[in-house]
Parts: sequence; C-alpha cells; structure tokens
Amino acid sequence: MTTTVTLAASMRGGTKDYGSGDAAVRALDGIDVDIAAAEFTAIMGPSGSGKSTLLHTLAGLDRLTAGESWIGDQQISSLSEDKITQVRRDKIGFVFQAFNLIPSLTARENITLPLDISGRDIDPAWFDEIIGILGLADRLTHLPAELSGGQQQRVAVARALVARPELIFADEPSGNLDSRSGAELLGFMRRAVKEFGQTIAMVTHDPSAASYSDRVLFLADGRIVDEMREPTADRVLDRMKQMGH
Amino acid sequence: MFRLAVKSVKHNPKRLVLTAIAVALGVALAAATFTLTNALSGGFHQLFEEIYSGTDVIVEEAPSESEEEGDQFAAGDSVFSTDDLAAVQAVDGVGLAVGGIQVMGAVLPADFEPTGELTAGGAPSQLFNWSGEPRIDQSTLVEGHGPETDTQMVLDVDSAPRLGYELGDQVAVATDSGVTELELVGLVRFGESNSLQGATLGYMTEATAWELAQSDGYQSISVLVADGADKDEVATAISDVIPDGTRAITGEDKAAEQAQELDDLLQYIDIFAIAFALIALFVGSYIIVNTFRIIVTQRTREFGLLRAIGVSGRQLRTMILLEALVIAVVASTVGIALGYLGALGLSALVEAVSGNIFGTVTLPIDALLWGYALGALVTLIAALMPAIHASTISPMEALRESATESKKPLRLRNIVGGALALLGVLAIVVGLYMDVPRPYVYVGAGAMVLIIGVTLLAAQVLVPLAYGLKSLLTRLFRVDGKLAANNIRREPRRSANTAAALMIGVMLLALVSTFTESLKSVVTDQFASSDADFFVLSTQGAIPAGAIETLESEDGVDFVTSLGVDSAQFEGTGYAVASIDPVTAEAAFDYNNEPAFTELDGGVFIDPVIQELGVEVGDQVTLEGAEGSATLEVTGLYLNEGDANFWVDEATGAELFGEYDVVQAMVVLDEGVDAAAAQEQLAEALAADYPLVVLQAPDELAQFANQFIDLLLGVISAMLGAALIIAVLGVANTLLLSVTERTREIGLLRAVGVRRRSIRRMIRIESLVMAIFGTILGMILGVGLGVALVRALEEFGFSSVAIPWTWLGIYMVLAIIAGVVAAMSPARRAAKLDILQAIAFDG
Repeated sequence: MTTTVTLAASMRGGTKDYGSGDAAVRALDGIDVDIAAAEFTAIMGPSGSGKSTLLHTLAGLDRLTAGESWIGDQQISSLSEDKITQVRRDKIGFVFQAFNLIPSLTARENITLPLDISGRDIDPAWFDEIIGILGLADRLTHLPAELSGGQQQRVAVARALVARPELIFADEPSGNLDSRSGAELLGFMRRAVKEFGQTIAMVTHDPSAASYSDRVLFLADGRIVDEMREPTADRVLDRMKQMGH
Repeated sequence: MFRLAVKSVKHNPKRLVLTAIAVALGVALAAATFTLTNALSGGFHQLFEEIYSGTDVIVEEAPSESEEEGDQFAAGDSVFSTDDLAAVQAVDGVGLAVGGIQVMGAVLPADFEPTGELTAGGAPSQLFNWSGEPRIDQSTLVEGHGPETDTQMVLDVDSAPRLGYELGDQVAVATDSGVTELELVGLVRFGESNSLQGATLGYMTEATAWELAQSDGYQSISVLVADGADKDEVATAISDVIPDGTRAITGEDKAAEQAQELDDLLQYIDIFAIAFALIALFVGSYIIVNTFRIIVTQRTREFGLLRAIGVSGRQLRTMILLEALVIAVVASTVGIALGYLGALGLSALVEAVSGNIFGTVTLPIDALLWGYALGALVTLIAALMPAIHASTISPMEALRESATESKKPLRLRNIVGGALALLGVLAIVVGLYMDVPRPYVYVGAGAMVLIIGVTLLAAQVLVPLAYGLKSLLTRLFRVDGKLAANNIRREPRRSANTAAALMIGVMLLALVSTFTESLKSVVTDQFASSDADFFVLSTQGAIPAGAIETLESEDGVDFVTSLGVDSAQFEGTGYAVASIDPVTAEAAFDYNNEPAFTELDGGVFIDPVIQELGVEVGDQVTLEGAEGSATLEVTGLYLNEGDANFWVDEATGAELFGEYDVVQAMVVLDEGVDAAAAQEQLAEALAADYPLVVLQAPDELAQFANQFIDLLLGVISAMLGAALIIAVLGVANTLLLSVTERTREIGLLRAVGVRRRSIRRMIRIESLVMAIFGTILGMILGVGLGVALVRALEEFGFSSVAIPWTWLGIYMVLAIIAGVVAAMSPARRAAKLDILQAIAFDG
C-alpha cells in the first residue's frame, strides 16, 4: 500500500446477513474495501452481488452484521444512530436512482436542503458555480414535478455537491435516464472529481457508466473479485462477460 | 424545519382540508359560545348599571351566603317597617328615601280566558309601588299621569298595547288575593329604551301595592343622597339604623354584584360548551390521527430521503408536529371566525325574536385563547403517534420501490385495548355495585377509558368482520364487494379509527337517548302511580292559599294536599325544607320514602344529602327558618336526592316559616266522581279569582314534563351534531386519502376492464361497512353505558330503564345515509381517474 493515498472511506471484514436461520442470505462476505479520496470509484457486479448493500453500509444507511467501516478516519460501524445521522449530514452526499427530491420544495430549496438542515451558510460563489456547470440556473424556482428526469438528477447532484461533503455516494444515478441525459450527468460527476477533487463512489451495472470512473471494483457473491483502473466501456463489458453476466 | 413543514402543508393542502374542517368545527363551537356568553354578560352589565344607576344607596335584605340560587324576579319578604323608612330618612346626608314594594302577580291580557292550559315560562309581570321620582322608579311617564288614587295604575309602553289595554281601561291584575281591576291612567318607559325582555312592568300607589301584596312593610328602601353627600359614607351611616340581617349598599356596588352573579352563572354555560367542543374535537382527533398516519405512509420515501441526507429522527418528528401546528393554527383561526359569525347570526336572530338582551357582540379574548388552545392541543396530541412513527423510518426506506404501511402486528394494540376496555368495565361495575361515594364519577371515567379501549380493539374485530362480510358482499356485489371487504381488512387500524369516530358520536347520542327515555318513563310512572286526580300548579309564583280553599270547598273533592317549600338553616348552611300534611300526602302520591310519611310524627325526614353529613334516624336536628327554629327528631328517610333535603309536617313548617309558599298541590276526588267533569267544574271555580292556577291530570302533566325532556334531548343532540358531522367527514377523509394511495391499483382495475360504476360501488360499500359498523358499536356502547348510568343514578329516583328503539332505528337510517354521502366525493374521484396516469402515478 502506498502511503500517499488518503482514504475517504474503508471497510474491513464487512459482513452483512439478511434474515435469519434457513432464510439467511449473506450479502457481504467479509469484504475489505478502500475508497480513495479525490477519485471516482465505480462498484460493479451482477444482480445480487451485494453492490448496493456495500454502498449502503459504507454510507451508514445500513449496519454491518460484522466488521468495521470508516468515513475518513472516523469509525462509524459502532456509532449510535444519532451519531451516524450526523456523519451523513456533515460528511456525505447522496444521489439515488429515483426519488431524490422533496416534492414540496423548489429545485433551489432542494439543493440547499442539507445546508439548511445543518444550519450552515450557503457559499454563493460555490452555489453559482455548481448551478452553472449543471445548467440549472433557469430551473431553480421549479418544483420537482415540473422538471425532466435528467434535470431532477442534476438537481440531486447539485444538492450532493453544495455542502462540499467528503464523499458522495451514488446509487445507479443514471439508471432511470435516457442515454444522452445519463451521459451528461456522468460527465458532470467526472468533472466534479477532476476539477474540485470531489470523491465519488457509484454503484452501477452499466459498463458505459462505469467507464466515467477512475477505478472499477467488481463484486460477486459478496466479495471483491477484481479491480480495474482507467476503465473503458469495452474492457468493463469484457470483464463482466467473464464473470458470467 | 419550520419552512419545510409549511412548504409541505402548502404543497398538498387538499389532503388536509377535511382535517382542518374537523378542527375548525370543534373550535367554532367553543368560540361561538364564548362570544355569546360574553355579549350576554355585556348586555346584562349594561342593564344592571341602568337599573341601579339612578339610586345612590339601596337598603335591602342582606343576602345570606348559603341561600339557594334565588329567582331574580321573585319578590322578597317585607323586612322594613315604616319606622325603618323614617329612620333611614333621618340619617344625615339622605336626601330622599323611598320604600319599595313588589307585588307578586300577573297582569292579565284584556281578552284573558282561563284555559286551564299550562304554558311554559313566559316573561313575568313586575309590579311595584310608584314613587313619582324617576331616579327611583327607573321609569318615566310618556303618556297620561302616575297612579294617584288606589284604583289606578300605569303600565310600560310596550306591554299595554300587547295586552290589549288603552288609557282608561280597567286592567286585570291577578295576585294571591284574587283578581283586582285597576284603571290604566298612564304609560311609562323603563330606562332609556324600555328594554324589559318581554316582561310586563306596572306601577300602583303604595296603598294598593300593600293591599295586593298583603303586607305593610317594604322589601327595600331606595335612597338618594343629599347634594354633596358621599354615597359610601351615607351607606355606612344607614347601616347603623337598619334592622339586623339587612344592609345598605351603593347602587354602583349593587350593579357590580349582580353582574358578577350573572357572570358566575354564565361560566357554567362556557364549561358546558367546552365539554361539547372537547367531544367534537375528540372525534376530530381520530381523523387527525388517520390523516397523519396516511400522510406519513405516503411520504415514507420522502422521509427516508431526508433521513439519508442527515435529518435526525427527532427533527423529522418536530417537522411533522410543526405541520400539525400549522394546520391547527389555520383551522383554529377559521373556527374562531366561524364561531364569531355564528354568534353574530344567533344574536341577531334572538334580537329579532325577543328583543335586545345582548350587548355589543365582540370577540372576547377568552374565545381566542380557548379556540387556539383547544385546536392546537388536540391536533398536536393526535399527530404525536404518527410523528413518532415517522421518526422511526429508516433511511433505507427511501430506496424502496413503493410505499406501504408496514404490517405491524396488532398484538400490542390489542393488549392495550383489552386492558383499557377491562379497566373501563371494572370502573363501571365498581360504580354500580360497590358502595362508593359518587358512583357516577366511576361510571363516567370508566366510560371514557372503555371508549378508547374499544377503539383499539375495533381493529381486531374488523379483520374477522371483513372476512365474514366478504362472502356475503361477494355474493351480493361480486368482485366489487370482495375488493371492498379486502380493502377494509387491509388497513384494520385505519378502518377501525374511522369507524370509531362515528362510534363515539353515535354512542353519545344513544347514551343520551337511553338516559332521557328512562327519565321519561320514570316521570310517566311516577305520575301514573299517583292517587291524585289532579295536580294544582300556578303559572306564576306560589299557589295562593285561597285557591286551595276554593278547591276544598267544591263538591266532589275528597281532599287537597299541598306541598310547600322554603329554605332553612341547618348547621350554618341553607337547605330546602318541604312542608306537607303527612296523611293526605301519603294518600295522594307515591313518595319514595322509608317509612311512610304517616310515621313522620312531628319529626323530620331527611334526604341522601343530609344522610351523607352523618345524620341518622333517631338523631336530633335543629332547623332555623325565617320565623323561628325547631329541634326535631329524624323519624325517617326520603330516598330521592334532589327534591327537598328536609321533610316536615305543616305545623313545623308554620313554626319555621310562618306562611310558606305552596308550590304544588294535589286534588283527590270523592270516589265515583267523573274526572273530566270535575276538572271543568274546578277550573271554573278557580277562574274568577285565581286565573293563574291550573289543574292538570297526571297524564297531562307527565306529557308536559316529557316535552321538556324531549327538548333537552334535542338540545344535546344538536350540540353533538358537530361531533357527528366531523365523524362523517372522517369517513370521507379516510376514503379520499386511501383512493389517492390506491391510485395505481384502481388504474390497474380499470385497465383490466372494471367499469367506473363498479369502482364507485366498491368505494361506497367500504364507506357503508365502516359507517354501519361504527354505528352498531356506538349503539351497543351507548345503550350499555346509558343503562349503567341510569342504574348509577338510582338514588335520584331512576327506577326503570327504557331502551329508545325508535331513536336507534333513526340513527341506523342516518348512518346508512351518512355512509352513502361520505362515499360520494371519494367514489367520484376514484371513478374519474385516467387509466394511464393512474398507472404511471408515483406516490
């Protein structure tokens, strides 16, 4: 291991079981993961490989059955629910596949929601920069229902970026979008990593989405089976085919 | 958080409209009553000020602490002699002192025909001696002149034409001593605007007043102080020369005192109104619970998302409570405004019917405080459980595909419900069968707990009920019926809460009607069991002694027994003392006493109130009446509470009170005399001198009393109307929200070919099942509790229980109508859904 890489998140021996007894399913099987800071990491795997569970436990949305996980240098697997909530609030941003926005708030209010919740001030310059890059300037007063799917996801990315979190978790962010809107969105996310040094960890099953990342982790049966740096869509696709996907 | 809460309410106000209306209705009830009582208080403050403003000092009988609520319009005893008047006149600083005489009697209309009909209420006649000094008479002549000879009188300007008299006519005045005719020589105006609230005001000379009142003293002395004299000092000086038991008080103090007494009385009306507002809001709280529960379910993903991006459970809870608060404030404001408008309308109506008794109708601060406090409190308490539920939503919920209410088992709910129901029943049983003081408190509190318990248990009852109904509904309505039954079972909590709101309303109605129906049967039984042929009653004041003598002297009358009531002091407190003739009383009426009155033996019977003081049969009690005191042996018990506290014979009554007021008399005819003919004969005998005394056969009187009970039932039902409207709104509200929630499902049904009509029918069946279920539960509980209550009140004379079958039938029909009405809007909404949009609909 090189000592120069700062870790934004990591997990050691992460195990997650669902159900109990005969019906028990092991989603994560003693997994070790490191998410490097200022990198765009993609987590790939076939359905049921445990990739979503990995994202949820890393982000503190769900608890590990065994093992430990860290956000930065803070161990979160043993924290109380209140403390974990605070960590999520202060250090993590989220982009989900769908239902990212509060229907009763305008785009602007949705974007500033994390800051409003934690009572922090908005940095207007930073806000304007994000809005500019994401092309949302003329959509700020609209309610989510008045936005297209692509616009809604861009608002979700803006919301994740605005609080300058240490780490953004994205769960199939382009999964509900047409290919052009999806490509645009992933392009924005990549720019955020390159230009602002933002750390992003993204779960996807789409090889072309994974190709926007710096590094791809391949999951199968709750374990990491391979890793690829500087991926291209074709190489990822090949690798997935080898895994029998 | 506050902004998010407000945004959320504004974003989807439709789902909260019915909830807000429910809160607003309850608040409106309280606000309207507060506004009315405030206006009434203001009106009377003004009136009292007007009455007493002219007089500087009033000398009158001192009010005894213990005296029962006196009749405002009744004449007191003549406590001042002419010597007393002279003594007051001689006090330094007294300009003019005038003795006041009030005559008990009534001015008869010019075309008066004694009908023997008993008419309820009616404003009384007020007859006084005329001083000629406007500040003391409080009236000014507007036509003619004042009474100058003993055969003249004046009337107020409104009453004379109403009664059909013109100047120069002979006016018939009925008093204890018979009917006297006086010549109308003038018309007067009371105060500024003759606002007498329908009463008749008349004045006559002092000598005439004395003759009619059969007295030679004064009930009060009105004093005008000399120029420059201080009223308070004069009042103090007068106090030194007047008899014991009387006092001198300035007009201003007297006005304030009277106003205060009225305000104390009005306070009870306020409390009564708050009780009904609370019932309405309690029912409303079921709707609020349901609404918030459904909203929380629908917004599960939203809350999950908020949790994911770092909102804590506590903040989420606060947010929902803030939303509730926003609704409460808006709804309470609307409610207060509605209440105020309602009060304005009502006061205008009253004014049109019976003159201006209200002061300016303004919104009192009390209405605002109570309105907001009740509205906010009930809404917040009701929203608390759903809010706590929301705070436990995990962030993972944001990632789930669709929102459904988690299928928590009903076990905890059943246990708590069962325990509460048991506790309630236990308290009722204790109240009924154990020898505890104030059993009705146990019964009342038990009933409350039982209601909540049954509400909780209803969810469990609904599941098997829906199963049971499923096959029936399926047979009757095919697939619509089956789906409706499934829907009810799917959300047992929600269906149970909805039905329970209606249950409470119906329960209270059934309770009140069981109670009043029993009361009616008690009254009917009591009169039916009477051996008396007629009851003698006076439409105004006491029954004159002469009237009873007249009746006794008529042919065919076996005997007349009379009941007099007055107040006497026992151990420093005033109690009601009834004076009777033991032999005739026992023979004429089935009093509830032990042993018979014939065992009275010059002693006294005591009622349960006195028994509770520790007095027992064999003890000696000392009663102090106005005329004397008597130490008597307790020789028996009078078993009904609420009639009179002490029962003595006529001789003791005379010893205590001198001449006491006879309030009731009974006539027993000779055997074989035809009652109908006798009634005519006796009425004719009374008509000449005692036109105000009427004869009533027991069944007539029972009917008359029952009219009052029906009126009471009507008033209470009307007050409960608000609660019932809220309950029906609740059914509509639940259905509307669940239609929204099932948008996709309904779209799917439509897509596979279910017709709009069938969708509508499905919703209607759901509504009807909930309405009928709630009504049946309510009737069972209400009748059960009513029976329990009647049993608990046995010592007040409730001997039998009557179940109001007619009313129960009416309630059931109303419930079915309510079920259909409540389903109208949700059914229309469900049937109108566009299939494609419905399928694409995202929670």
